[in-house]
Parts: sequence; structure tokens; C-alpha cells
Amino acid sequence: MTALPEGRPEGRLDEPRAPATGGLGLRTRRAATNLFPPLLSAVIGLGLWEGLVRWFAVPSYVLPPPSQVVLELVGEWQYLLTELGWTVLAAAIGVAIAISLGILAGAAIALSPTVDRMLTSWLVVIHAIPKVVIAPLFLIWFGFGVQSEVFFVVTFTFFPVVVATITGLKSADPDVLQLVRSMGATRQQVLRKIMFPSALPIILSGVKLSVSLAPVGAVIGEFVASNQGLGHLLIRAVGDMDTALAFAAVTLFSVFGVLLWRAAEYVEGRLLPWHPSQRGDFKPGQK
Amino acid sequence: MTEPDRDHSPTASPAPSRPGTTIELERVTKVYGAGALAVQALSPISVTLAPGQAVSVVGPSGCGKSTLMRLIAGLEAPSSGTIRVGGRPVAGPLEDLGIVFQRDLLLDWRDVLGNVLLPAEIKGLAPAAARRRAAGLLAELGVERFAGHYPWQLSGGMRQRVAIARALLPSPTLMFLDEPFSALDAMTRDQMNVLLQQVQSAEHVTTLLITHSILEAVFVADRVLVMSGRPGTLLDDIAVDFPRPRRLSLRETPEFSAIVRRIREQFVRTGDLVG
Ligand SMILES: Nc1ncnc2c1ncn2[C@@H]1O[C@H](COP(=O)(O)OP(=O)(O)OP(=O)(O)O)[C@@H](O)[C@H]1O
Ligand SMILES: [Mg+2]
Repeated sequence: MTALPEGRPEGRLDEPRAPATGGLGLRTRRAATNLFPPLLSAVIGLGLWEGLVRWFAVPSYVLPPPSQVVLELVGEWQYLLTELGWTVLAAAIGVAIAISLGILAGAAIALSPTVDRMLTSWLVVIHAIPKVVIAPLFLIWFGFGVQSEVFFVVTFTFFPVVVATITGLKSADPDVLQLVRSMGATRQQVLRKIMFPSALPIILSGVKLSVSLAPVGAVIGEFVASNQGLGHLLIRAVGDMDTALAFAAVTLFSVFGVLLWRAAEYVEGRLLPWHPSQRGDFKPGQK
Repeated sequence: MTEPDRDHSPTASPAPSRPGTTIELERVTKVYGAGALAVQALSPISVTLAPGQAVSVVGPSGCGKSTLMRLIAGLEAPSSGTIRVGGRPVAGPLEDLGIVFQRDLLLDWRDVLGNVLLPAEIKGLAPAAARRRAAGLLAELGVERFAGHYPWQLSGGMRQRVAIARALLPSPTLMFLDEPFSALDAMTRDQMNVLLQQVQSAEHVTTLLITHSILEAVFVADRVLVMSGRPGTLLDDIAVDFPRPRRLSLRETPEFSAIVRRIREQFVRTGDLVG
């Protein structure tokens, strides 16, 4: 039975919809049953990998067994984490710039037909260029080092935010807009109180996409224009035929990507408790 | 229903010079489009609505009821004729007006209280007074316990109550409702009729209710305007002076039935209803 607001007999007309709340015991048990299948498949997959590599005596520079990757992760953790730190730094600075610029540009395009006509075709053209192809140019333009990487992350993650912001700001309910104008709202009030909040879910989905692209952009940048970071480490490990170290770097990179995605989802849930995509475990009374 | 602080607390309205709320229409017409595509939505309408009156407008679909409302609200200009509200010709959107539409148009990202306070924020009313006013209105409309709920947690009827509270927050002297209850089930609709009638008397707000339901029109109003099919014009103008507060049982009285029949016969005569 879900908790109804106190003092109201059940089933009365006009009862508010009480959101589903599960007990804690139920929830942990459900989490355990949900976690079991992926865990099992991970164990089986890694076991097969380990067994086959050993059975066929595959040289470890071709394909290291998972145990060796784990040893590498443990043995080289300081080195790996330091390089990861550089990648995270470049990705974070780059995506922060991309999000700010993207929201500003998107808002300018959505709100001003003139800016729209001036900027949109440029954006479309630039977006059509495969970013990876022009990565080496960043070396020429911005030199060797983290600044090149940051610029590359910006170009790599800018577009999802722009597109989402434009779509979001243009999708406010026209009837609501008419209603608040009839209340005498100024243009700025309409933007702040209606257009921006109703755009937020769409903007955040663009931001989420950008955030998940940022580490990829940073690593590509490091392949080309940096002597730091996981990308650089990867290039070096592969050059040294140290495939286990490369796998360790990739593993770390994946874990980082998953954590980043989770963090973005968490922030989204905090900002949009009212949105249909987030309502599942939202309880009234918590704000 | 008790409203403890309504009489003491200053209302959150922009106090200086509340204009009277007589609404006068003089041979008002509206034509949409031009040339071969022109649609005459309203043929000349002249009518005067007294301050504090609750007026219902009934008429067949497409006869120009919403158009009439938008013209008086100043959201559109008439093609000819003049509209005066409080003695002044209407030149733009009326400030002193709360509107409720068929869709409640609540903001999903604000809780009930936040939705009701929206006009106060837009008009820059004093926050403390606005909050007191909001609390009073939510109580009056029977949704005070849901102030912290979000719109998606409410039923259609409750959402529409919140929309009415939002419209009334700045204490307008005019309230227009365009088919506010047509999306609700019959039982909730009856409840809402009783409630609207109560709130209307309590707030002394000049009310224009557009509806397709003859029962609703008569139950809520002091006066029913009956409109013909397009181009809309006035077929009939009926005073309804049952005492308030009204209860649903009023609808079973012979006097009530007589008015309903009179309106229905108008529509049968014009062919808008089959007798
Ligand atoms: N913006 C517009 N442009 C062109 N024609 C319009 C416009 N708004 C309304 N009309 C026309 O004016 C006529 C009256 O429309 P209106 O919406 O006022 O009718 P209504 O009585 O409110 O109908 P309903 O009961 O279905 O809501 C209709 O024929 C409609 O097609
Ligand atoms: Mg209409």
C-alpha cells in the first residue's frame, strides 16, 4: 500500500496520485536480483577470456589475460591515475567551455532570427567536418600541450549542447506563453520563468551527451598533441608492445566514462524532479 | 467555507485606482482573414455586463464564443465596434483579468504554490502578501493541503482548481473562463460548478464563463447569454436570480428546468440542437 496523505479516506474523488514508494528491504532485494545477471555474465566472460588466452598460449602483447591487466592496474596505479588526471582535467575544462558557449549560442540562435540566419549555416558546415580529421590542425594552431587538447574537446562537445538548447527553447507550450504574456510578463520574464525551465530537460540531455563525449575528445587530442594523459599513455604503451598496460588504461577509461555518465544522470535527477523521466522514485515532501 | 484572512490581509492587487468593471460592447464584430477566405466570426453584438456579475455564454461550436472572450480580454482587436471595460476602451491585454482555459496550463516544474504565485512574480507584487493571498485561495478552493505537490500528482479537477487560484491571485476584478471544465468527468464537473459559484460570490469578481453545457451555464450564472451559430450574435439574454449559495439540488427544481428548456428551445429553433 502506498502512503496517502494523512486524513483522507482512500478512493475519494480528487485524490492526488501518490507516487510509488517501496520499502528499503524490498528495494535492496530488488537491487540484488537486478545486479545478479550482469555480474554472472561478467564472471563467465572474463573466465572464458582468461581460459582461452591461457589454453591457446596467446602472447600477451597480442591479447593479455584479464589477470595480467588487473596486475598492471594494481602495479601501475600511480602512473595510470596521474595520466587519467590530465585527461579528466582537459575533458572537464573543455566541456565546461563547450556547455557555456553552447547554451549562449543556442539561446542567441533560438531567440534572434538575425543571429539564426547569421550563425546557423556556419554551425552546420563546421559540424559536418569530421572532428577527428582536423585534430592534427589543432597542433599547428594551438601548439603542443593541454591547450590544444582543451580546444579539441570544445569543438568535439559543443554541438549537442547548441542543438539541444535551440530545440528546447523553441518547444515551450505556445498556450502557456500566451497566458503569461496576458499576465503582462516582460520578454525577460517569459525567458526566465517559462522558456528556460521548459527547455531544461532537453538542454540537459544535450549536456549529458557532451559530457560523455568529452573524455573521448580529450584522448583523441592527446593522441595528437600532448605528452600527457591516458591518450598519450596508450600511444606509448602500444609503441612499447605493452598491451597489458594499454588494456589497463582502456579499463580505467571505461570506468571513468561510466562514472561520468552516472554523475550526469544524478545531476539531471536533482535538477528535474518533476520531469516524467525522473518521477519514478520521487517522493512528495522532498524537494 | 471559511476564509480567515481575506478580510484583514491586504489583497495582493496593484492597489491604485481599481477601475470599475462594467463591460460594454457596442456593435462589436469580428472578421478573420480577408477576401474569399474571410470568416465572419461575430456579427454585431451589443451588451453591457454589470460589475460583479457572473455571466455565462452558451452557443454552438464555432459560433465565436472564444473570439468574444479574446476581444474583451484585449488579446485581439475587434473588426468594428467598441469595447469598453471600466469605462475605458480596450487597447491591449487587460491587466486586471484572470483567465482560465480548458487546459490548465500549469507549469510542471513548479509545485502548486509556485504555480499560484506565478502572476505575483510577473506583476512584482509584495511576496508576503501574495503568499497569504495564495494560502487563502488554495483553502477556498479546497486544495490547501497540496500546496507542495507537483501538478502531475494531481487529478484533472484539482489541477483546474489550482488554475483558478492562479487566475484569482492578483485579485482581478474580472475572471474569464473558456470551457474550463469540459475535460473533466461529470461528477467532478458538478463539484467544480458548486465551487466556482462559491468562489465567484466570495471574490465579487465579474465572471465570464464560456461553456457548452446549458446546465452549467445556468447553475453558475446570474445571467446567461445565448449565442446563435456562426456568425455569432445574441439570441437571448436570460437573468438567473436563484439565491446563493446554490446547491446541486437546485437543478431539479421546476424554475431551473424552465430556464434550461428555454435555452434548449432556442437551439432547437435555430437547428443547432435536435429537439
Ligand atoms: N485566429 C483565427 N483565424 C481565423 N479564423 C478563426 C480564428 N479564430 C477563430 N476563427 C474562426 O472564428 C469562428 C469562431 O471561433 P471561436 O473559436 O470563437 O468559436 P467557439 O464558439 O469558441 O467554438 P468552440 O465552442 O468550438 O470553442 C470559427 O469559425 C473559427 O474558424
Ligand atoms: Mg472556444
